[in-house]
Amino acid sequence: MIGVPILEGKYAATMDLYPQQSKEFNRIYPFYEHLKQGRFTTTKCRACGRKSFPPRVVCPNCLSEDLEWVDLPTRGKVLVFTEEVTGVPLGFESPLIHALVDLQGEMKLFVRIVNCQAGELKEGDEVKLAVFPVAPVPQEGRGGVVMQERVYYAFEPVK
Amino acid sequence: MERNVCLIAGGMSEWGVREASLRDMFQEAGKACFEDNPAVTNKDVDGLIVASAYTERCSFQTHLAPLVAEYLGIKPKSICARVELLCASGSSGIILAYGLIKAGIADVVMVAGGEKLYMPQKWEVFYSELASVDHDWDGAQGLGLPPPAFAMVAKQHMKLYGTTEEQLALVSVKNRRNGLNNPRGHFRQPIDLQTAMTARPIVPPLKLYDCCPVTDGCAAVILACEEKAKDLTDRPLVYIRGTGQATLNNMSANMPNWTTWEALKVAAQKAYADAGVKPGDIDVAQTHDCFTISEIIEYEDLGFCEKGEGGLFIQEGKSDFGGQVPVNTDGGLLSCGHPFGGTGIRQAIEIMKQLQGRAVRQVEGARIGLTHNLSGFIAAHTVIIYGRDKD
Ligand SMILES: [Zn+2]
Repeated sequence: MIGVPILEGKYAATMDLYPQQSKEFNRIYPFYEHLKQGRFTTTKCRACGRKSFPPRVVCPNCLSEDLEWVDLPTRGKVLVFTEEVTGVPLGFESPLIHALVDLQGEMKLFVRIVNCQAGELKEGDEVKLAVFPVAPVPQEGRGGVVMQERVYYAFEPVK
Repeated sequence: MERNVCLIAGGMSEWGVREASLRDMFQEAGKACFEDNPAVTNKDVDGLIVASAYTERCSFQTHLAPLVAEYLGIKPKSICARVELLCASGSSGIILAYGLIKAGIADVVMVAGGEKLYMPQKWEVFYSELASVDHDWDGAQGLGLPPPAFAMVAKQHMKLYGTTEEQLALVSVKNRRNGLNNPRGHFRQPIDLQTAMTARPIVPPLKLYDCCPVTDGCAAVILACEEKAKDLTDRPLVYIRGTGQATLNNMSANMPNWTTWEALKVAAQKAYADAGVKPGDIDVAQTHDCFTISEIIEYEDLGFCEKGEGGLFIQEGKSDFGGQVPVNTDGGLLSCGHPFGGTGIRQAIEIMKQLQGRAVRQVEGARIGLTHNLSGFIAAHTVIIYGRDKD
């Protein structure tokens, strides 16, 4: 017997490193639906024009709820990067690479770079959105347990 | 009528990799605090604020303040609650206690903070750190552990201002030497420059001694209105003179500037204005050296030196004993470790002792002291100014 026997076979959201993405648990679920289509999106306020990231349900500038989904660039340039080789946290592989990416002047995103070896990335390199599947959530509903498929995003070098 | 507020006692548990639970260490810290000033007892305390960030994740325990009150024999009647701002939880507790006492809602308040972070399996605390940044956005990028963010800061600061790896290392050499001044800190072994420079890389350019450790520990202080403080201590009174706490963003994508910490400047300006002092008036400071680069940027953004000259400031010994403003005189986070909720309280204890003239290694004639914490993804900054004089 190992671990906490009563939790065997149970899913604990409090131990999940990825967000809840289903519409039952998250009002910005379209972000993840868009990711599945290869789109990187966020919300823009129709009242004041402010584009926010991460996506919102209320505009942090004028507090309007009249928001629309807009596409962000899926390609950018590496400004600075870091490589973590040892002590990578559970759930991530070594090397764990992060880069500050200039998303065509729209914003500077600090993101994980995947499909890249240590020593391979250079400042100025072009990177693009990389969407990958993550473990589904076994969500309880009236009809029983439904597996909620999930994705997440990183960026990868353009080769 | 607004009242003056004084710090009248402070103590710590042993900090380090502890064979103890969170509640064990709160008892140790509480006892050490009362022993520091036998004139004040648990019966004199009318309020308790507990500062702890990971109590739910690491000890499966909410509603922590009444638990600590029960264990320390405190029967609060003005306030009994927990506060959380990760690395600045302790300083947040002090600011709240200060405000309550100043306003006449409480008279004598203990602020106790700390963490139990070492778990039966080591992965758990690092995994829990994914909750400390914006979990859904930065955490899921593997940014729970702070080294990549601070390595990014260091790289940019080096590029912009010519800060060197040796200057970073000098911060750890100074603070590890100062760690000898805190008998309850995590590390009490000095290191030399060569050891720091040749240590294994964590996230380049940050090496082992550039990073503070994961630490278990608790600390506690007692604040009182000036009138009560006069009855409850024979030592010189130490006043809270000014406070500031600021945030401009939380997620990394919204960071206004990686190498100038704008929120720190806002918090510092507010605290300086409250206190009616300038950066040049600070005699001793405890700043948030979670990484060596942090302390260098803090010299700059607290106004101890010009922007970009933080590297020279350490190199020229200006932050050491005998320099312009000794910083992290008890070893800081790099030596004492960083049990999040305990850190701001440890800093307050060192400043109190410095201003009362009873520190292990004394900054001669210190009359004005400052503490600073950053928290989260460099997302909030907290500054408190203490003085031997009320204004
Ligand atoms: Zn708006």
